[in-house]
Amino acid sequence: MRGQRGICGVLLSLIAAMIFAVLDPGSLCAQTAFDLEGRPTDPLAQAAGRITVLVFVRTDCPISNRYAPTIQKLSAEYAGRVAFWLVYPDKAETATSIRKYLQDYGYRLPALRDPQRALVKSSHAEITPEVAVFEQKHELVYHGRIDNWYEGFSRPRGAPTTHELDDAIQAALSGRRPAVASAAAVGCYISDLE
Amino acid sequence: MISLWRWGTPCLLVIVIAAMGQQHGAQSRKPASAAPTGERRVTFTRDIAPIVFQQCAPCHRPGEAGPFPLLTYQDVKKHAQQIAVVTHDRIMPPWLPEPGKFPFADEMRLSAAQIALILKWVEQGAVEGNPAELPARPHFVQGWQLGQPDIVLTAEKPFILPASGDDRYWNFIFRVPIDSTRWVKAVEIRPGDRRLVHHANVLVDRMESARRMEKEPGAGFGGMEIKVVSEVFDPDSHFLFWKPGTVPYTYPDGMALRLDKGTDLVLNTHLQPSGKPEVIQPSLGLHFTDKPATVHPMLLQLENDTKLDIPPGAKNFLVTDSFTLPVDVDLLAIYPHAHYLGKDLQALAALPNGAKEALIHIPHWNLNWQAVYRYKQPVFLPKGTVITMRYVYDNSEDNIANPNSPPIRVRGGNRARDEMAHLWLQVLPKHFPAGQGDPRMVLQEALARHNVEKNPADFEAHYNLGAMLQAKGDLKDATGQYNAALQIRPDDATVNNALGGVMLARGELDEAIPHLEAALKTQPDYFDAHYNLGNALASQGNFAAAVEQFQAAVRINPEDADAEANLGSALAETGRLGEAKMHFERALKINPNHALARENLQQLQQ
Repeated sequence: MRGQRGICGVLLSLIAAMIFAVLDPGSLCAQTAFDLEGRPTDPLAQAAGRITVLVFVRTDCPISNRYAPTIQKLSAEYAGRVAFWLVYPDKAETATSIRKYLQDYGYRLPALRDPQRALVKSSHAEITPEVAVFEQKHELVYHGRIDNWYEGFSRPRGAPTTHELDDAIQAALSGRRPAVASAAAVGCYISDLE
Repeated sequence: MISLWRWGTPCLLVIVIAAMGQQHGAQSRKPASAAPTGERRVTFTRDIAPIVFQQCAPCHRPGEAGPFPLLTYQDVKKHAQQIAVVTHDRIMPPWLPEPGKFPFADEMRLSAAQIALILKWVEQGAVEGNPAELPARPHFVQGWQLGQPDIVLTAEKPFILPASGDDRYWNFIFRVPIDSTRWVKAVEIRPGDRRLVHHANVLVDRMESARRMEKEPGAGFGGMEIKVVSEVFDPDSHFLFWKPGTVPYTYPDGMALRLDKGTDLVLNTHLQPSGKPEVIQPSLGLHFTDKPATVHPMLLQLENDTKLDIPPGAKNFLVTDSFTLPVDVDLLAIYPHAHYLGKDLQALAALPNGAKEALIHIPHWNLNWQAVYRYKQPVFLPKGTVITMRYVYDNSEDNIANPNSPPIRVRGGNRARDEMAHLWLQVLPKHFPAGQGDPRMVLQEALARHNVEKNPADFEAHYNLGAMLQAKGDLKDATGQYNAALQIRPDDATVNNALGGVMLARGELDEAIPHLEAALKTQPDYFDAHYNLGNALASQGNFAAAVEQFQAAVRINPEDADAEANLGSALAETGRLGEAKMHFERALKINPNHALARENLQQLQQ
């Protein structure tokens, strides 16, 4: 796997220098996320016919960290019906640092590294923490904040008053479109990462 | 395509910046990337690192409060847009007061130019620049900031902070292991894991009163607002406060904090769950000095909690309190305090010459970043200055910190969900000319009178004024205030004992005894009441009954030399000379200089 990733990288940088404006790098080399063993993993392919939720997180983002109990609780509530994945878009996060983090925060969810931003792109994710909800046929039906706990940096509510992720899952489970298709999240910008 | 991009960018930027100016707190306006357009490009190494190293790195480094380090280009780049937003909105560095006439020490405030530079850096792509231009990494003192303390106290039991839920308020009691009075020039607070502690406050508990709140010794106890019982007149009033970025304060010579044997320090902490369970075990480092206090700052409190009855939906609920200074003072520091509904907090001074000045103005209150603010230079406020606390509260849905959704009626109180309107000022009263009394007493009496006028139905206000008058020797007026307090709480042990004490001092024994008996009926283990009743009975010549009271007193507090000596005297009066001798000896063991015990013992031995 490592060899393959290396080749993609080399090709990209060579070509990008010449014709970056013309070619979409994605067409040149299929992008993918990786599980913590380093295997390419497509979470949607793993959950045929099931609702899938991708949760974009970082280990060094305090708002993302504070959401851990909420995320874990929601995933437990929908266990068996909805597939939850944690997705780490930071290239610098290692499998080791992520494993330690999962243990510290009591997560019992599968985790993916997304150094090529394959899932970030397909989910339109910009922030950590942010979620993407794919319905049974794997169409993206909601992306954005988990709820409205944070109004802005350092401005948490006592408790959230809207629950966009939960609402979107409920809608998808009953075959409806969520009332809200996207809502801006508060947290750390993925585009700040390398 | 490229040329379109370049033409398009400046328009986009204008829109983005305008939006940032209008929306407070909303996050819909991250800075857009832009290609440089001829002017000098802002770089990390030359332009941004000096700001970050000075203003951010003191907290954003391992072991400190910042949740991620900001020590290298890579560190800062990973949060570049976030930094642009939080600096622009003045969320970071956390500093609530507006700039005013009286600047504060250690202000953590970026200039408008610095904020603009950070924004421009991010817009231009947050580039690193020439590594040769990077300033030296800031040097930070490791460990105790003031050097190894003379005593380090660590909380006996840690507090386990749950992974989620409401913010928690926990109090740790530190028993100070000293045998005699010591003078403390600095207290360095290590609040445990600094990422979790929003602020921490040390209260000096001279009466071991907080220990009653602990379920078992050393366990600590919960609660946002705590009250320690203090002496009638405590001359050492210091702010001992920690917030992220605090540089431990060393009091100048002559302004040290007095610590006696048996004094407890109570650390009141505000903790925020992090997402995983955390262990909090704070410690305090005490730095002693051999220079006793010669000047004595006082804490003045303005407050108006009884006026806090905020209807749901009220957006601008105003609460005020005004106090006229009866003496000249130097204002050293100020501490405004409200809970989650606080919106705009101001303290104003109307000077006798007609000038009006803001002592502090916090236009966007945020409980999470509350602090004690120390003035760079003491602010002189002459006698006759009217200090006004002017607090505005928002109990609507618009206040995102509102703990209730939908909003409910909120009243004053000690719980986090209650509201508060407190303003503390640390002042140094100017000395009176020799022989004209103590300005601190004048100030405290004025404050106590102010509280009685403000809240005529407040038990504590009457009691405190009574105690103040008693300390001054004005027994008649003290009796009046104690009686007013007694009308509000007829069974209260403290005020019954105080009344008994005043009557005793006035020689009205028949009046004193029923009050002391009432105090003991409410609180049978009340040392002071047994001691006073013993004295009253002895004064009546009823020595056998007095012996019983003094015996009860020494059972409760075996370390009180006066009680032992009086017990000895009462026993001697009843002819029990052997026992009397033993108690005089005990009194002398506790206090070898106890004159009464020594004289009586000598008489017995002759």
